[in-house]
Amino acid sequence: MEEPDWHSPATIEEAVALKARLGDTATFLAGGTFTAILVANGLIRPHAFIHLARVPGLDRIEIGDDLRLGAMVTHRRVEGSSEIRQSSWASVANCFAQVASPRIRNQATVGGVLCDADYASDPPTLLVALGARVRLRSPSGEREVMLSDFIQGHYETALGADELLVDLVVPRPPRHVTYVKFRSRSSEDRPCVGVAVAAEVDGARRCQSLRVVVGAVSGRPQEFPRACAIALGDRITIEVATEIGHQYSELASTLSDMRGSAAYRKRLIAVLVRRSLETLAA
Amino acid sequence: MTLDPRITGRFEYGQDQQVEGMLHARILRSPHAHAKVLSINTSEVPQHVVTLTRDDVADLEPLYGPMVKDQPIVARDRVLHVGDAVAAVAAGTPREAEEAIALVEVEYEEMPAVFDPVDATGDAAPLLHDGIEIPAELRPDGRNMCHRFRLRSGLGQDGFERADVVVEDTFAVAAAAHVAMEPHATLAYWEAGRLHVITGTQTPFNVRRDLAALFRLSEEMIRIVVAPMGGSFGAKTFMRLEPVAAALARKARRPVRAVLTRAEEFITINRHPARFHIRLGATRDGTFVAKSVDAWWNTGAYADCGPSVCTKGGYAAIGPYRIPNVNVDSRCVYTHLPPAGAFRGYAATQGVWASERMTDLMADRLGIDPLTLRLRNLLRNGDSFATGEVMHDVRFADCLRKAAEAVDWGGGRKNKGLAVMLKGMQTPSRTGVALEINAGGHIVLRSATTDMGQRPETAQRNLAAEALGLSPDLVTVGSNDTDLVPFDTRTTSSRSTFMMSNAIREAANDLRRKIAQRFEVAPEDLVLSDEGAGVAGSPDLRRPLTDLTGLRGDGTFVTPGGLDPDTGQGIASSHWHQAAASAEVSVDPETGVTSITRLHTAVYAGNVVDRPGAELQNEGSTIFGIGTARFEGIVFEDGQVTNGNLSDYEIPSILDVPDFTYDLLEGGEHSHGLGEMAVPVVPAAIGNAVAAAGHPVRNLPITAESVLDASLVR
Repeated sequence: MEEPDWHSPATIEEAVALKARLGDTATFLAGGTFTAILVANGLIRPHAFIHLARVPGLDRIEIGDDLRLGAMVTHRRVEGSSEIRQSSWASVANCFAQVASPRIRNQATVGGVLCDADYASDPPTLLVALGARVRLRSPSGEREVMLSDFIQGHYETALGADELLVDLVVPRPPRHVTYVKFRSRSSEDRPCVGVAVAAEVDGARRCQSLRVVVGAVSGRPQEFPRACAIALGDRITIEVATEIGHQYSELASTLSDMRGSAAYRKRLIAVLVRRSLETLAA
Repeated sequence: MTLDPRITGRFEYGQDQQVEGMLHARILRSPHAHAKVLSINTSEVPQHVVTLTRDDVADLEPLYGPMVKDQPIVARDRVLHVGDAVAAVAAGTPREAEEAIALVEVEYEEMPAVFDPVDATGDAAPLLHDGIEIPAELRPDGRNMCHRFRLRSGLGQDGFERADVVVEDTFAVAAAAHVAMEPHATLAYWEAGRLHVITGTQTPFNVRRDLAALFRLSEEMIRIVVAPMGGSFGAKTFMRLEPVAAALARKARRPVRAVLTRAEEFITINRHPARFHIRLGATRDGTFVAKSVDAWWNTGAYADCGPSVCTKGGYAAIGPYRIPNVNVDSRCVYTHLPPAGAFRGYAATQGVWASERMTDLMADRLGIDPLTLRLRNLLRNGDSFATGEVMHDVRFADCLRKAAEAVDWGGGRKNKGLAVMLKGMQTPSRTGVALEINAGGHIVLRSATTDMGQRPETAQRNLAAEALGLSPDLVTVGSNDTDLVPFDTRTTSSRSTFMMSNAIREAANDLRRKIAQRFEVAPEDLVLSDEGAGVAGSPDLRRPLTDLTGLRGDGTFVTPGGLDPDTGQGIASSHWHQAAASAEVSVDPETGVTSITRLHTAVYAGNVVDRPGAELQNEGSTIFGIGTARFEGIVFEDGQVTNGNLSDYEIPSILDVPDFTYDLLEGGEHSHGLGEMAVPVVPAAIGNAVAAAGHPVRNLPITAESVLDASLVR
């Protein structure tokens, strides 16, 4: 068994040129919390690692009209950033703070959690509800993809073989944003179900827009806009919250794993979506 | 300031041991639950890597095992579980060994496998072991059964005719992993025909005896040096890596170290999955009159100490109650799962879960407060347990009352649960210890008690110092080496402090006698202090301890006992571990998530000799119990562990540990072991609290989903 080659590019251009040359035999390495498990278990055997730690600019946090988080920004930095916490994007910091344990969050990155596309993750669920997009770079240029399109299924993304996720762009969220992480086991566990709600309400508490996303229950975050439509134009009542919860429970596809059966997840979705919307009703 | 090497990272655990020229071992493991091994081809393995297959051990005893000789060093004609060792290699680096093991080619022919103990006793079930000899006293009476423990007292089953009310139910407990931070680790080498093994084990003398039998040597030709363990919790009892490391070292003519990976831990030794059907009969006023326990223990592919687990769990499920008519049938059955063995809370965890959930079901049926019902039936001093033995030094009611008070039981019992248990200690049992005066005038304590993180040296130094009238600073603990320490049965079943306290007292008396002989006085006239030894009334005769170098006192303590294999009558335990727990929970009725709002354990500690150590043991036991209660369970699919890593198999993190409280009840003549007393009672108390909240769960772990499934109201 040959030792994988280790590359430490100094620029984004160098990084994507390397990736374009090496193709699928190489893997980008950010925090390594996920990649190390895959390698240790023999699930991937890359011939080369392209380590991104020395690439300047990938660790930027920028707040303007959008929140921009570089691919190498760690969970812990998002969690601890006072600028983010004091901004309209505080819910993003709160969500990253709920991932695993401090040791993992010190290492795991924004780019990593999105490119791994592990179904049992927290940030993608909230970020899809916020309409986030990712900026991808390749030797031939740059493109932006909606996160909801980027994550395609279990460990599958729209990332091309020569592309690097450079940063995450989160538009200014509506006034009411919540993310509920439901753990069925240890407090350090991955989510059994995640529910994100992003809603705009007017001065009379009438709901003007509503996005509800459920995550960690199947290959990718799921959203059912038609189920949310009944909430628009009026105050959300307990009955409406319950009805949307029921609809989501019926419409969502769920899987079984160590954290709960598919049927249990269906029951939870009804409860957690309703509870999330009840806070709007209150 | 000298920092504890355990904190600085300089402490040398089993996996840190090394000697010059050492090779690293890896084991090739079966991907099948049951298969014929048609061929093993090692020709692709580089020449400088040492390989070990069945052909290399053909001159040795074919099988080993602490109770039933049923396990080969590497597979002979068949593999019996996913993870069964097929071959091994030793190479210059761990990486080289890992690469070499992938080059060994094995041709298998898959065979039908059985994973359920009841199914395994069926006529059509595949037979795991052919031609092995199961000791007659284990009374196996079915296909694939390695032991059947029976207990009959009073009228047995006929006793139910005297009951006004009979309740019965079925309970199950999942397999669990020990998850010691340090994995199994062993280093073996041969020198002039003598086998030296440096290993993390709780059972050095069992390992020495069993290696001697396996390698056809006298026990004197084997030396076991116990490395301190980074946790064990029962996993490092009896032989694990010692046979394969010793066999590889023999072939390599070099030292060989074997260290397991985390994934291998899950297929090496686990806690027994167990299932119980229990019937309990009582009169209307709540007096227990009859109980039957029908238990099945899934010991996996090898018996290990499963028969002993089956016995102890069989009588633990009776509970600490006066019941005139008892019938226990507890069966230990082979299946094609990875083997199960000793686990902190040894068999009591499973038995107490079933028994104490049943006690609450009876309380419900009779409409009697669960505390009142227990107090009415608890064993008292002078009562006979179902084994016929008379109970002494009984504190069950005290433990239970303390537990009940801690959750304000009198203030209402909504969402609250109680549990009380008796747990046996290894009986019969023998402990030897020696106290030697060394050249520096220190007392060297020669003890085989192994250190798995509980730091027994503190307790034992205190005991020796007290018995001799010296300060603990003058007592040092010698190397744990079978060449140097007297025989001790093993460091298990929370027996060491009890057994050692008695043996150390004997050894101290013996040493005082020897010193008194030097002074030619009677032992009672001897005055011993940190300043030296002297004679009462004659201060000028005092001599420093350095003048007494080489004097040695020996002490032995033996507990007799044992149970009749057909009736379960006799002495089950020379003294009884006694504990109770109480819990209060809140349950989210829509998600099944349980929060523990109060948790208390009350443990009979007797004479406490190391207060911080005792407290840490009980706190650790409580957290262990929380893990078992809430989410620890190994999941198998066709015999394959599907959660064999610490992401899918979770243990409690510090955030999962609620504030809890405890009492260590003192008094009596003896030191009582308390290394695992909270483990069995905590899950049962939590389970009873969850049931009191309207979710009568029957199985461990109590997952959120199972709580929802057990809801009385949907």
